[in-house]
Amino acid sequence: MPHGNQKSDRKKRSFTVVVGCGRLGAHIASSLSDEGEGVVIIDMSRESFRKLSTSFDGMIITGDATELHVLEEANLAGASALLAVTERDNTNIMVAQMAREMYGVPHVIARLYDPERECVYQEFGIGTISPVLLSTKEIGHILHPEPSPAEAEDVRTW
Amino acid sequence: MVKKRIVLVGGFHKARSLAGSLIKQGYAVTAINDDRGHCEELAEIHRLNVFNGDGTKPYILEDASVYGFDIAIALTGRDDDNLVICELCKKKFGVAKTVALISDPSKTEFFYRMGIDSVVCEITSVTSIIEQQAFLDEIATLVPIGDGRIKISQIPIPGGAPADGRRVMDVSLPKSVLIGCIMRGGTGMIPRGDSVILAGDVLVLISSDEHETAAVHALTGR
Repeated sequence: MPHGNQKSDRKKRSFTVVVGCGRLGAHIASSLSDEGEGVVIIDMSRESFRKLSTSFDGMIITGDATELHVLEEANLAGASALLAVTERDNTNIMVAQMAREMYGVPHVIARLYDPERECVYQEFGIGTISPVLLSTKEIGHILHPEPSPAEAEDVRTW
Repeated sequence: MVKKRIVLVGGFHKARSLAGSLIKQGYAVTAINDDRGHCEELAEIHRLNVFNGDGTKPYILEDASVYGFDIAIALTGRDDDNLVICELCKKKFGVAKTVALISDPSKTEFFYRMGIDSVVCEITSVTSIIEQQAFLDEIATLVPIGDGRIKISQIPIPGGAPADGRRVMDVSLPKSVLIGCIMRGGTGMIPRGDSVILAGDVLVLISSDEHETAAVHALTGR
């Protein structure tokens, strides 16, 4: 048994930890796994793992990712990236900061629903994505596929 | 002299008790709480400014105009919320000192590393007070918590007391009473059910105030 674990640890030296198995978390974890990447997914509720694709072959941890021992169990120090995508902005912020500060994870991304907090946390060295800002930008692209004359003007003057 | 300004975020009972004592000491105090009913009760405190809202949101802190305050104290029941409150206060609003209450002691170092000036962990604070108070020989209330409804007190066990020579699990204590620590010969130990209480021990008792007397009687016979 320990042999098997060691072997798979060595094989998957780089893997991604996904915190929160909601729609986004499950989707990302499933597609990373389908692409053959190492994935660890953490959620407090066992039920939530039903959302994972049937072919998901990553590691599943039921627990509170704001607790250090859960992050240890996920072997976070060996992870190449952490995505914090739970339903709570503040939980995502804290988990992302713990990953960055305590475990030195190179890529850390937190999903934040409140774009106002995003402005603050971009300065803190954690990557943030905000569904509101992403949607706003995308809707803008759909409605105005060409750059507006004013923007074109700006580019020229630079 | 300009009054020092302090903002308390969350934590109804703790905020109420802190606000009262800080105002008495001459500070200008603002409380932010996301529960409307709690806000109404807090508003009854004379000279306390109260704001209803989620203190982890920048616009609520802005409404309460905490810019340049001297101290921010985060008292909510969630460690993540308290972290965000302190970080926002410090980095976005320039609050000079931030204090966070945390429930998980293993995160203390992480909070300090994130620039929180003072991290108060309920469990470790209680333990350290217990250590300091090791050599008192009278029943003394050390810390009242939760508006004084919970008490931590130390109980010396005299020779011939009902608890003398008995295991912790064999002493009939009221349900809401816990023996938190047995002090013996200058050291403290956290008791298990099979730890034996001896004459000369000082027990640290955590109890609701209504059951304290009954517990003292069961232990010492007094």
